[in-house]
Amino acid sequence: MHAYNRMMRMFLAVFMLSAATVYAAVPENGKCMGCHGRKDVKSIAGNSVYIDPEKFTATTHSIVGCTSCHDRVSSGHPGDGSAPARAVCGDCHAPVSVEYAKSLHASKARCNDCHNPHEVRLPMFMSGDDINKKCAKCHDARKILKSHAKWLPQAELHIDSLLCITCHTGSQDYVITMSIESRLPGSKDAFKTATYEELAKLTSGDNIGRVIDLNGDNKVSLEELRAFNHHLRGKNMRLWGMMTPEVVTHSYQILENRWDCTFCHASGPKAMQKSFIAFPDKSGGYKRLAVEKGAILDILYGTPDFYMLGTTRSTPLNIIGALIVAAGLSFPVFHGFFRLLTRKNRKEDDHEA
Amino acid sequence: MKHKEMVYMTPMPVRIWHWLNAFGIVTLCVTGLQIRFPDHVNIFGAYKAAIRLHNTAGVVVSISYGLWLSYYLIVARSLVKLYVPTLDDLKSGILRQAYFYFLTYFVGKPNPHHSTPESKFNPMQKAAYLVIMFILLPLVIFSGALLMYVAPLRELLLLLGGIKLLVGSHFLLASCFTAFLCVHIYLATLGHTPFAHFKPMWNGWEEEMVEDAEPEKKTDTKLP
Repeated sequence: MHAYNRMMRMFLAVFMLSAATVYAAVPENGKCMGCHGRKDVKSIAGNSVYIDPEKFTATTHSIVGCTSCHDRVSSGHPGDGSAPARAVCGDCHAPVSVEYAKSLHASKARCNDCHNPHEVRLPMFMSGDDINKKCAKCHDARKILKSHAKWLPQAELHIDSLLCITCHTGSQDYVITMSIESRLPGSKDAFKTATYEELAKLTSGDNIGRVIDLNGDNKVSLEELRAFNHHLRGKNMRLWGMMTPEVVTHSYQILENRWDCTFCHASGPKAMQKSFIAFPDKSGGYKRLAVEKGAILDILYGTPDFYMLGTTRSTPLNIIGALIVAAGLSFPVFHGFFRLLTRKNRKEDDHEA
Repeated sequence: MKHKEMVYMTPMPVRIWHWLNAFGIVTLCVTGLQIRFPDHVNIFGAYKAAIRLHNTAGVVVSISYGLWLSYYLIVARSLVKLYVPTLDDLKSGILRQAYFYFLTYFVGKPNPHHSTPESKFNPMQKAAYLVIMFILLPLVIFSGALLMYVAPLRELLLLLGGIKLLVGSHFLLASCFTAFLCVHIYLATLGHTPFAHFKPMWNGWEEEMVEDAEPEKKTDTKLP
């Protein structure tokens, strides 16, 4: 019954309040955050009960409101020491919960081990690096590299360019998501995802998308991409592309078809024409800007750091290559034809090449 | 009347290099085709198998190139003589040879160049081999080596214009090699018999038809 009430309240809240700001739309959020939004407030046991207001505001959970999940808060809270009730994730996310329960991962981690409900956001509003960091909480990066290197050519390159969930779930609809990275101080080749503050210094105003989207049309053209690569390279920054799924599943497993390189590499140039650039926002999340279709295939500094064998090959270069081979083939064909026609003119002994 | 004479044209180290190189380059072209067009070409089964074979063949061709260069520079010391066109070759030799291939060959005129162990290649061959061996092959080896180690060499790749430009150059160079193979194999059939130029590449000895009236040529066993 509690679960049913929670679901109903959540749907009502989403439909009625989705466009409004959190505190205004769900007044009780403000009441809760009055204490939980302060770092100095601790539980009676001395534990932190802090919830980052900015991160929480960016979540869908803030729209449904604190009391959708914590629906039984005693009238004496917090003085009586009783903890408010907590919802079970599966109450609202039943299909995900069922799918996850069948996966290899289910016995290893609970929802909260990967997703902080007060900060959770959709994968498209996160950087690839942030998603992989969640996996790295349990899976040691060095061991992962070592185990992959046993069978995967250029394992380090693959791991840097893929989300773990790209291969280890049944996720679908892959796109290339690029993020801006800044060089770690004192390092030659180590980069990290650039922060909002770092990018804000490079542009005026709040719209840091203008770092690349020079005309502010909320789309990134190939020209803008090339200009970024030329100008910001000197500022110790780069664009780093990762192959990310648009539809994410929780069916953690080792899929047989992911051992086969052609799962990614034989999808052809048409598959990888859709790409985005993810810009960090103030709340620690990311906002995506769509990149001009096909820009990922550009050979002239559009995405100089990103190439997928077989998949991001350039069609104009294929044509030039084919013409070179055709020119080579045409010589034996035409010369051979005239050689055949004029064979009577030659005494074979006289004509060594 | 003419009689056959045998001339030792191609010493063993050069023959070993040639066939190692030929086998390696054909392997590289075929595996490269699968690596670039995996959705259309599947000759070696797994994509990874094609990549591993391509990388191995690349290393073999690189080592073979190093041995070839060392042999001609240090042992035979005939690299410049055999491969670098002379001034006369550039001024008229190349044109004369092209004129033969494209015109006078068809009317039955003899080849203006006569191969000897000291001057194996005609001016067009010299020019073509010079470009192949001293420009295209080093470039394809260099770009291929960088592509085998993308992660550690990333900064160098970016200095050279990025990974896509490098992959594109590697592909176009490979296309040039494929085109060269077609022309090279065909031209090798233009001897006094279709296999006359293949035999010396196998056993070192080339048959030559010499006029009886000429004083018999001494069989040359000197290595070029």
